[in-house]
This record gives sequence, C-alpha cells and structure tokens, in this order.
Amino acid sequence: MAILCRKTILLLIIFVGCSALSHAQQSPQAIFDNANEKLEAGNYQQAISLYKNLEAENTVSGALYLNLGISYQRIDSLGKAKYYFMKAASFEETSGKAKQALKFVESQFSRQSAVLPKLPWDVATAWLQDNIGAENLLIAGIILLNIGVLIFVAHWFLSWHPRYLRLSGLIVIGLSALIIVTSFYTRYVSERYSKAVMVTQKVPVLEKPQQEASLISQAFEGYTFTVDHYRSKSKPGWSYVRMSNGLYGWIPNSEILIL
Amino acid sequence: MKRIGKFFCAIGFLFPLLVLGAGSAYGQVSVKASVSETTIYSGERVSLSIEVSGDFNNVSRPDLPEFGNGLRLLSNNPSTSRSFQYINGKSSTSYTYSYYLVAQNKGEYQIPAASITIDGQTYQTDPIKVKIIDRNESAQSSGSDTPDIFLRLDVSDEQPVTGQQIVTDVVLFFRDGLEVNSYQPVPGWKAEGFWKEELQNTSRPQATSTVINGIRYRKARLLQFSLFPTKTGELEISPYKIIVSVRSARSRDDALSSFFGGLGNNQRQVELSSDPVSVDVQSLPPAENSDYLGAVGNFDISRDISTNSATVGQSIEITTRFNGTGNVPLISKPEYQLPDGLEVYDPQENSNLNRRNNKISGSKSFTDVIIARSPGSYTIPEKMVSYFSPEQNKYITKTLPALNFEVNENADAVAASNTPSALPVSPVMGLASWTTPTSSNFLSNWWFWVGILLPIIVIGVGYWQKSFIQKMNTDKAFARSQKASAKASKRLDEAISLSEDGHIKEAYNMLQKALTGFISDRLTLPEAGLDNADYVQALEDHNVDENLVKNVRMLLDKCASISYAPDTTHAYLKSHVGLAQSTLDKLKKVL
Repeated sequence: MAILCRKTILLLIIFVGCSALSHAQQSPQAIFDNANEKLEAGNYQQAISLYKNLEAENTVSGALYLNLGISYQRIDSLGKAKYYFMKAASFEETSGKAKQALKFVESQFSRQSAVLPKLPWDVATAWLQDNIGAENLLIAGIILLNIGVLIFVAHWFLSWHPRYLRLSGLIVIGLSALIIVTSFYTRYVSERYSKAVMVTQKVPVLEKPQQEASLISQAFEGYTFTVDHYRSKSKPGWSYVRMSNGLYGWIPNSEILIL
Repeated sequence: MKRIGKFFCAIGFLFPLLVLGAGSAYGQVSVKASVSETTIYSGERVSLSIEVSGDFNNVSRPDLPEFGNGLRLLSNNPSTSRSFQYINGKSSTSYTYSYYLVAQNKGEYQIPAASITIDGQTYQTDPIKVKIIDRNESAQSSGSDTPDIFLRLDVSDEQPVTGQQIVTDVVLFFRDGLEVNSYQPVPGWKAEGFWKEELQNTSRPQATSTVINGIRYRKARLLQFSLFPTKTGELEISPYKIIVSVRSARSRDDALSSFFGGLGNNQRQVELSSDPVSVDVQSLPPAENSDYLGAVGNFDISRDISTNSATVGQSIEITTRFNGTGNVPLISKPEYQLPDGLEVYDPQENSNLNRRNNKISGSKSFTDVIIARSPGSYTIPEKMVSYFSPEQNKYITKTLPALNFEVNENADAVAASNTPSALPVSPVMGLASWTTPTSSNFLSNWWFWVGILLPIIVIGVGYWQKSFIQKMNTDKAFARSQKASAKASKRLDEAISLSEDGHIKEAYNMLQKALTGFISDRLTLPEAGLDNADYVQALEDHNVDENLVKNVRMLLDKCASISYAPDTTHAYLKSHVGLAQSTLDKLKKVL
C-alpha cells in the first residue's frame, strides 16, 4: 500500500513538473496565436493581457505591436492604440499597415495638437536614426576611416601620384571622422530624447514637477511629446517634455507611454 | 457612582429597562456629589452638595462619611432643595442636599463616598479630591503684580506632528470680586502655520474655581479652536484678543453669578490679550510606501462601487470614504490603478465637518466617475491606504478590497455605431518574426575598437617602414650595415658553388670576401685596402669576444694560406664555410 502511494505521488510530481515545464516553454508564436484567438473572439482584455506578456518578456515583433494597437483601438483606448501603432511602424513588415492605422487613429481624437516644424538639424538627426541607424553610421565611418588611412599610407610607398593619394586619403579620413561624430551625436540624441504618447484623457503640463505648479498647457489623449530623459532623471515620476507646439513643461509619467 | 445591592434586585431593576427599550431613561436614578471649591484656603467654608435626580419615590437622607483631619462638618442637618420636571410624559425629580464643611489643616484630602438609599436601593457617590492651602503663605508667595483678569491659550499638545489636531482653549481667568458680563473676540486672529477651525460649544461658558500662585481665580473657557500644523518646526500661536465687559461681583458662591452676572454701574470694558504659545511641531516619520494620503488622526476608510453590472457607456461611481477624527479636509484622493478601456472623469469631492464634541471630526468622500468603453469583466485591484495615528505614533495601513464589475454591450449603442468609422487595418494572424531588442553601447563593441585601432597601427607601421626605406636610400653606412648579413650569406653560398665546381682557391677567396665584407660593412670600414690584421684589430677594438676574434683570425689565415695546400678538398672548405656561417651569426649579434 505504501509503495503504491509513493508511486502515485512520484507520478503526480512528474506530471505536474512536465506540465509546468511545457507551459514555461510555450513559444512566443503559440502565445501570440492564443492572443489572436481572443482578439478574434472579442475578448480584448484577455488578448491585451497575453500580448503584454510577450512584450514583458522582451520578445517583440511588428505584428505583436500592430495587434496590440488594434486591441486598444477596439476598447476605445486610442492613446495606447496610437502608441502601439507607432511602435509597429518601426518594423518593416508592419510599417505600412501601422501608418494606415495611425492615420485613422489620429482622426479619431477629439482634440488635435498644433505641430511646430522641427529644426532642419533635428529633422536630419531623426532621419539618420530612423533610416540608417547610429550603429550602421558608425560602421560606415570606421570602414571609411580605414580606407582613408590605407590611401594616406600608400602615398609613402607608391610613386603613382603620391600628392593626390595623400590629399584623397586626408579627405576620406576627414569625412569618416565626420560620419563617426554624427553617429555618436545621433546615438546621444536618440538616448536623450524619446517620443511619448499621452494615454490618459486630460492632464496639465506644468512649469515645475509639482502638482501645484503653474500651468503651461492642457494635454489631451493622443498628444505626442518629446521626452528629455536627461532633465527628467532628476525628478522621479515626472518627465520633462516638449509638446509638438514647441512648449516645454513637466508631466507625470503615469500619463504617458514612452516609445 | 456605584450601586450597592443584591444581585437579584439589580436584575429586577435592569429588566424593565431592557423591555422598555427606547424608554430606557425611565426609572434611571443618578446620584452626584460636588463641592463648591476643590482648592480651599484653611479656615474657609465650602459647600458639599449631593444631588439625586431621576424617577424615584422614596429617598433617605445621605449617610455622610468621616471627613478626617482636613475638613470638618459644620452641621449634620442639610439644607434641601427639590425640583420636579415633566417632559414628554415623563416625570423626573431632583433632590439636592447641601452641607457646609470647614477646611482645617493644609494638605491634600479626599472626601469619601457618601451613601444614600433610594427606593430601597443603596447608592454611593464618587469620592472627591480637595486641596487645602494656607492663605497667608499663598499671599506671601504671590507677587503684587498678579493681574485681576487675564486671558490664556491652553493647547492640548505642545509637541504635535504635522497635521495632528491640537485643541486650543481660549480661557479667561478673573479674580473673585469681578463679574464678567459679556465678551467679544477681536477679529483677525491668525494662527500662521496652522489650518484652524473654530469648535462649536452649545453650552454657555461655565466659571469654575482655581487657585493660581495662591490666588483664587475663576476661570471660564470662552472659545475653542482646532489647530492643524501644516509645517514642522517651532511654530508660534499668536496672541488671542477679546474685549470683556466686567464689573464688581455680588457673590462668588454661585458658579454662574460671576459670569454674565448682569449689568451694573461700575461696568467697564477691558481688552485682553493672551500670551503667544510656542508649539514644537515634529515631522511625521518617513512613510514606508506611497500609500500615505496626508491623513493624520483616526479614520475608518472604505471603498464601494455603485454597481457591479453596467452597460457600455453607463457611468459607474467608485466612492472612497474617510470617516473619523483628524484633519479631514486635508486628506488627498487615493489614486487607483484602473484597467484599460475605462473613460475616467474628474472626481467629485465631498466633505462634512462636525465641530462639536471638542474636536474636529467628520467625513470626506471621493467619487471617481468612470465609463466603460467596451464590454467585459473589469477588476480594480485592491489598494493599500495609510494614515498616521498620533495616538499610536505610527502609520495605520488599511487594504481596500478589489472591486469587480461586469460591463455588457449596450444594444442601443451597437445599433447606433456605424461601420464606416472602423479601423481600416486587420490584425496579423499568421506567423510573426520575433526579435529581442537589445541596446548596446558603441564602446562595448569589439569591432569599434578594432576599427579604430587598426588604422593607428597601419599608420605606425607604414611610417616606420617609410623611414627605414628613406634611411636605406640616404645613409650609405646604414645601408651597408643592413645589407651586410645578406651579402655575406650570398658570398658563402657562392663559395660552396665554386668549390663544387672544383675552384677551391676561388671558393676560399670568396669565403674571405664574405668575412671581411661583413666586418667592414658592419663596422663601416673602407671597402678596400685593408689586410686581415686590420679586420682582426677592428674587431678587438670593438671588444668582440676573444674566441670569435680567434675564429675570424683562423678563417682569414686559412683563406690566405690555401694556395700552399694543394690537397684541400670540397669537404674541407664546407667545414670552413660552416664555421664562417656560425661566426658571422655570432658577430651579427655583437656588431
């Protein structure tokens, strides 16, 4: 009787262990498929919960963000929908759909924010970050630097137009240095500043990071900000933001989602 | 008051009360003893009153105790007074027995309990403490500058914490012989650093007797305030001012006679100002979490939801209530973690203050109005909230339980919603390409350092090579020295070739050239015109090892004397070439 009992307990432990292991090893795609089923069935809250589990595990894809955005749009949480569509837009496979969805969501907000054009330098930096990337820029700069150095060194040994070799070597080295500095600056800008979307209905943007501080402007759901992480670092729970109309102020972190 | 009697009698007395319920006042009897003064001069007369009130039929004369050395009973026969009331169909009677006692010896004494029998039940009064002081000693100890009338602020706590309620009494003291007819507060009193609320007192001020510095005063609490410190540190409650109308009194035996005693001819108005009171406000201990809502006092906190089942678009109210004593208006709203899909409106705030019972109490409620945007089950998670209890000197944390509610589709709203406003994008249902975002620092990449260091190395090596070539071209001695080793090796190879071809003499000649050429190139000696001794001498001048010099001399001698050795073979030359090769290798290291 005792042996039978022990065997039963052992089997039970193995069964529980195996089932726990199989659950723990559930692939991102399986969770994603499960979430998609919930989304199709109209269980938006459950679908969001599953999608967010994937996001929390740092396993992401454009499809995940797009579907999260759609789920939030279905429950009329347009600020969060906009945030996830913006994330999905940075993935090549979902960029087109996400931009289309973004256009739609933008049209649904009851209040639209005026947009002050960015400075050309900021536009250039943003373009470099979005289209080339600081790391790719750095790689290109380093390759060019090596080529420039080789050309420059060659003029010491080759009798074929050494003057031109020297000059072209120096030009290439100078250009590569410029590209490397630009890549560092682009990385600095992308690390210091982030885009953020307001996800609650209404919140005051304040002059100081205090609830009783004087009001700069009212912000509404869907407004986009540029968060200055460097300045925000000193005030936990608050973000120093630039609104799209060019105004600066402080906003509680709980009101926004930072990309 | 203590009641003495048999247990069954007590049951018999209590039972009708329980049955009657609301009419519990019926049949209740109270017995109270009081003295006209609790601080008495020696030789002074004081009255002891025993008051019996309630609904009763028979009452006996009080049975007085022994008063001891301190007090002496003047007469065993009391003066009695009786009153009768009939209110709302209920009658009540009040009997008062008054005795006079004389204070004899100074000291602190206790008037023991007196017993009295009412309708067969025996009751006892509470003992009363009295203090007898020497009139002459008191008069000597008190200064002549003691005022006849003055105002004082009495605070309930001189070391409160921020936000704690401290009750401040405005108390008027006046000597016997004065009557206060009326008083009028001077407006504009400010208590900087405090939030203040005036408390309500329904009863008129009652004057009681007290002795300060040996002088008998009558004191009356005129007003009462609740002060809540809003900052820490030494705070000063500024002087309170009133204008009182006073005149000489007629008698001091009646407690009310010296207050609002009526008008007289010698009436005058006096402006009185209290001294400022310093309060040392302590800071609250650091809160362990962010659940503290600024409440200091004693509170009952609850949260409820207006409905557990609603439709899309229907408003739902979440009400959080704070009931209790303390800084009710200063309580801030707890922030709840609301699930997605809820539209949140500006919260409503309501507070109700009760200024009675010598403290500020009341309730404050916050109502969050939410509207669900989509159907489903929603849960507002449980929330921890804290307030600070000055009595327990710690934060009290309460957990508000989670709220669950269901939101159903609104049939009307579904019909009204049109498809044209639908999102023009469908979700991705198939396979997705998964990535794990990583953020790396440029400086932590190996390729960055390789890419930066490689050009530096290339430039360094290139420059060194360029300088070498340049020196080889311009510095002949340097070039000879650099090429000496290779030239010598080539000559040795040629010597072997010549020997193999049978030209032994030429081969030894070449061997000599290899040796002398190497030495002259390394030591920058003239290329021609030197004999073997010069080369050996040059080596000795450069402190070359003696054995090496010996080998060189032997090899050069062998090369010079080969013409006289016609039997020399190729093998013999090869051995000399081998020796020359090793000698040159050694010379290369020292020259």
